[in-house]
Amino acid sequence: MITNRYITVSCKIATGVVHKDMKSVFANPQTSLPDFLLSVYQYFAFSYPKFYKMDNLSKLGWLASEVLLKDAGLKFDPAQVAVVLANANSSLDNDLKYVKTIAEGASPSVFVYTLPNIVIGEICIRNNFKGEHAFFIQDKFDENFIFQQVNYLLDQQLASACICGWVDVLGDNYKASLFLVEDKQADNAVVFSTENMAKIFNSIN
Amino acid sequence: MSTHSTVYIAGLGIISAIGNNVAEHLDAFKNERAGMAGITIIDTIHKGKLPVAEVKLSNEQLISLTGLTEHNSRTALLSLAAAREAVADAAIPGLDELRVGLVSANTVGGMDRSEDFFVEFIADNSKGKLKNVYDHECGSITEIVADKLGITDFITTISTACSSSANAIFYGARLIKNDIADVVIAGGADSLTKFTLNGFNTLMILDEGFCKPFDENRKGLNLGEGAGYIVLVSDKVAETLSTPPYCTLSGYNNSNDAFHQTASSPDGTGSYMAMQGALKMSGLKPSDINYINLHGTGTPNNDSAEGTAVKRVFDPHYPPMSSTKSFTGHTLGASGGIEAVFSALAIRHKIIYPNLRFQTRMNELPFAPVTRYLTGKPVKHVMSNSFGFGGNCTSLIFSEV
Repeated sequence: MITNRYITVSCKIATGVVHKDMKSVFANPQTSLPDFLLSVYQYFAFSYPKFYKMDNLSKLGWLASEVLLKDAGLKFDPAQVAVVLANANSSLDNDLKYVKTIAEGASPSVFVYTLPNIVIGEICIRNNFKGEHAFFIQDKFDENFIFQQVNYLLDQQLASACICGWVDVLGDNYKASLFLVEDKQADNAVVFSTENMAKIFNSIN
Repeated sequence: MSTHSTVYIAGLGIISAIGNNVAEHLDAFKNERAGMAGITIIDTIHKGKLPVAEVKLSNEQLISLTGLTEHNSRTALLSLAAAREAVADAAIPGLDELRVGLVSANTVGGMDRSEDFFVEFIADNSKGKLKNVYDHECGSITEIVADKLGITDFITTISTACSSSANAIFYGARLIKNDIADVVIAGGADSLTKFTLNGFNTLMILDEGFCKPFDENRKGLNLGEGAGYIVLVSDKVAETLSTPPYCTLSGYNNSNDAFHQTASSPDGTGSYMAMQGALKMSGLKPSDINYINLHGTGTPNNDSAEGTAVKRVFDPHYPPMSSTKSFTGHTLGASGGIEAVFSALAIRHKIIYPNLRFQTRMNELPFAPVTRYLTGKPVKHVMSNSFGFGGNCTSLIFSEV
């Protein structure tokens, strides 16, 4: 397929390291997930009190989107930015926590995170995004599927830019890998392709 | 492609805790007879503790009323009962020759039957009747009803929480305006389930007594069930009707709060934008509205946010307003359809419904809802609000023909 679409920026958070455009920008390995997420928040000096209310899945996805968009200079109408995410474990990490609260009185604040697409809501609320969005549950990262979905949105002019990728948490296992896909070139941009998504998703460093 | 500017409402159908058809609803309003009571039909641990507004017919009675079968969800039974009444009421000549659509909303789908399945299945993975999960999906309910009504031209399902059927109604209007359909049966249905009762109970927004919408001392909502449908027709079809249409759908708007998963923003941003947008489309001023059918769930958060938004739009001239959820309970995905039926009836019969059990005006608001059944005054334009979880806010405006 001939397109002029680029991954203008990528962000990956896994195994205690935050990567931006495949370069390590922060590392704090050997910490528990909640401590690690808080350390990322503090290191980048984000200021968003709602962060503290989020479940781990939303915290992870939200942090990845903040790092992704930090210097992106997104010039699009927020109503035209789409978000397409996927993961393997839905909101199970938080669902299990919620089940434990039922015995001593189910917690409304935990309950409201028992859906995986809430992470998309948190990213959209933060950035005023009002474009199309979808959350898919799949066994593993399927770059072909994401490629197809994002191209559909952009081909049909349902969006001008799209944040896509993977945000998954279950217990101590977690991984986020987000891509900002736009029609324009940029300094560190790579062509939006299944190969480039897989390369970034699977990179070790 | 030709377009139609005006969409008319030609038929109404409804079932809820206060009646099984339009006539019974008018009677319940006139006699100020609310539908909430102790739980008698749904099987739940909350029986004897939480009041709900149940449709007063068992599944067996609904099956004999609709001709559906015992494995069909109660949502489908309610949906078919009301949709069929709406089609009969519209009595459109030559319906078979027209392009007919069904745009139906619900939020629970066949969850009631899935809950029956789950009890046996969880105990033994080889047990449980698969027939009971066949209609789990929201879309299945619409397909069952379309099949029974013989509708094949356009069928779709909308599920956007408590604004579902209000969105279904204006989606139907858009199909007519864009000449994709001539007639659209639009609205929604929801039955009571353990899923919704337990979920709302977890959110701590259920009143253990009967709900008191827009009262300073309101404690939450009562869940209800039911279905409400209106038959939307194009101007060409309206000309062929033997009885005049009830009203037109003159304005609609959907806006999002983008604030919280289950709560409205304190200043009611989404509700404000929805009301303003619907007014703009209809070309009406706030002072043209003769009655507001409030979303008015009775939760502290909704009524405060909606009240603030109403104040921003209407101050200082407030039209009569009330929450009919004080009769029907909150029927979730059905509420926009049910309240659209009430809006059309308000215009046709020149009535304004009372907001039951209201005692004390909210401190932050300079207005109070209507507390008595009023009749005889002209009701030319009605605004109906439906605001859902996820910040999904919709306002519809119905106008005299």
